[in-house]
Amino acid sequence: MGWTSQDDLINQLTTNGKGDVVTMTKTLNSAGTAGAWTLLSPHNGWPIASTFAGTDLTYVPTDDTWSQGTIYTGGDVSTATKHFLTAGGQVTAAAGAPWYIMAIDLVGYVPLTTTNVSTTGTKTVTMTAIGSSGSKGDRYPAGQGLRLFVASSVGAMGANAPTCIINYLDTAGGAGATTTFTSTASMGVGQLLNTGAAANKYNPFLPLAAGDTGVSDIVSLVWAGTAHASGSVIIGLCKPLWTLPLPATGLYSKMDLVNALPSLPQIKDGANIQFLLFQTGATTSAGTVNVDFHYGYGG
Amino acid sequence: MSGFGSVSEFAACDAAGQTWLTQFRKTVASAATTTGAWVDYSYFAGSPAANFYASSPYVAAEVEADKGIKLPSVSPATQHMRLLNVMTANTASTANSRQRLILCDYLLYYPFIDTDAVGEVQVMTNTVDDDAVPSIPRYTSGLVVAVGQSAASTTGIFTFTYTNQDGVGGRVSQASYTFVVAGGGQVAAASGTGASYNPFLPLQAGDSGVQSIESVTFTQAGGGLIALVIVKPLFHGYVTQECRTTSGVAFGAADEFQSIINHAGAPQIKDGAVLSFLGQGSQGSLASSQLVGVLQTVWN
Repeated sequence: MGWTSQDDLINQLTTNGKGDVVTMTKTLNSAGTAGAWTLLSPHNGWPIASTFAGTDLTYVPTDDTWSQGTIYTGGDVSTATKHFLTAGGQVTAAAGAPWYIMAIDLVGYVPLTTTNVSTTGTKTVTMTAIGSSGSKGDRYPAGQGLRLFVASSVGAMGANAPTCIINYLDTAGGAGATTTFTSTASMGVGQLLNTGAAANKYNPFLPLAAGDTGVSDIVSLVWAGTAHASGSVIIGLCKPLWTLPLPATGLYSKMDLVNALPSLPQIKDGANIQFLLFQTGATTSAGTVNVDFHYGYGG
Repeated sequence: MSGFGSVSEFAACDAAGQTWLTQFRKTVASAATTTGAWVDYSYFAGSPAANFYASSPYVAAEVEADKGIKLPSVSPATQHMRLLNVMTANTASTANSRQRLILCDYLLYYPFIDTDAVGEVQVMTNTVDDDAVPSIPRYTSGLVVAVGQSAASTTGIFTFTYTNQDGVGGRVSQASYTFVVAGGGQVAAASGTGASYNPFLPLQAGDSGVQSIESVTFTQAGGGLIALVIVKPLFHGYVTQECRTTSGVAFGAADEFQSIINHAGAPQIKDGAVLSFLGQGSQGSLASSQLVGVLQTVWN
């Protein structure tokens, strides 16, 4: 459980020390793309840059022990529940404003490299469906609320802009498919191929089939048209947590997550907290992104 | 049951995955806009893609779904706005891009109406004339916006006949003025002598909505082309300050509107809605400015 009252929240924080603040800072490895979203984890800074290790086309579940750059939020607190209390952020870059920062719980990813990116066709994914076991990998039972994106993972994409669709199983195990999107040539590291300011782009997540509320299993990715000349990507599976607007360079924004409605977004035990950045213009290479948040738990 | 029976039901949607978060970015065209007048963001480039109302002249048509902000269909549940967050940037000038916004569901439109056809009754084609032509979707009526499909050189005057919210045909609108605009996508209608800018055209006294438009008649030429668009206004908001850096000084603000907390209820967005914004700049031109935002919905 969380807290039973505002008094309980204050007591747990100030008397029992059940909460903390954490920070993240990243320096953008390359210039951004106007109107697109960028996954910050493969960029340099703190935590370390992710490289998305793993076997091609095999799902890699991640949690707060992920060795490639997760933010530690104090470990497991069950049977209590952990929640965001505030969120703050700032971007310093000569161009790109205004921005949005979105916190996500990156539940897992599927890496695709070499010919799985540079050839078209169906790329079948190996994944054990997310269930309701209560394990950290199943922290969103049956994939409830999970969303999909496709991101350039460790380097810039090559030429060409194929279309792409992802086949998945929904929370009841039924087959579903995302809306087809058109990729973009030469997007930089971390940039979401399904996002941008053009037709057939979907910001920031791929639309699911009608009626679906989550994703329990990634079945395949299908490239069509002219394949990217090179590059490596991940299919990201995540739970969106909160979104923070950052109006201009250097301006710090702070968000109260206690008094919003719904309030107090939950940090599940095992959550691998990562961040997506939206940029209105093309954010300058070497721009810096700083994020902080307070969290607490009751029980 | 659809809708929400309690605050806890509203809040529980997130954990149940009954929520969708989408994000948009639209860039106003480079043609100067008029201070105080309205623009139709659906017409401008970005994400979602531009909607030019390009179909057969005078024939009623629906705006294509991919021209609206993408949301899922959730029937038999009902979908509602949870929050809207907006920011605007104007990198092309130091003019202020703060503006009033109206989130609309775009229902039906009649394109390529000639504002120079003085004295000619321009007859629209509706589903009663041709059953292949769509009737108004999702709602029984809406309000009418006159969107410029070209530049316009002078002040025109027109009225239109329509079927009202109760299905009564032959209703005659009050006279509206078109005015000089520099390009398409600008809402080209006003009252008074042409400088009292309204987003929606004034109807015959006592009417609250329009199901279909039968004809348009200009009594004074306006020197351009317009589309008459029937929309359902869903939410009124505003951008309080633009975001930019001038002479090394950064400033700006985001504006967030949360349902339940910031205003009564939670506006419903019907399945199949084609969503975009009307914007009213309050100081200087909105040309080349960018409107970005996040829209989150929940359903139950």
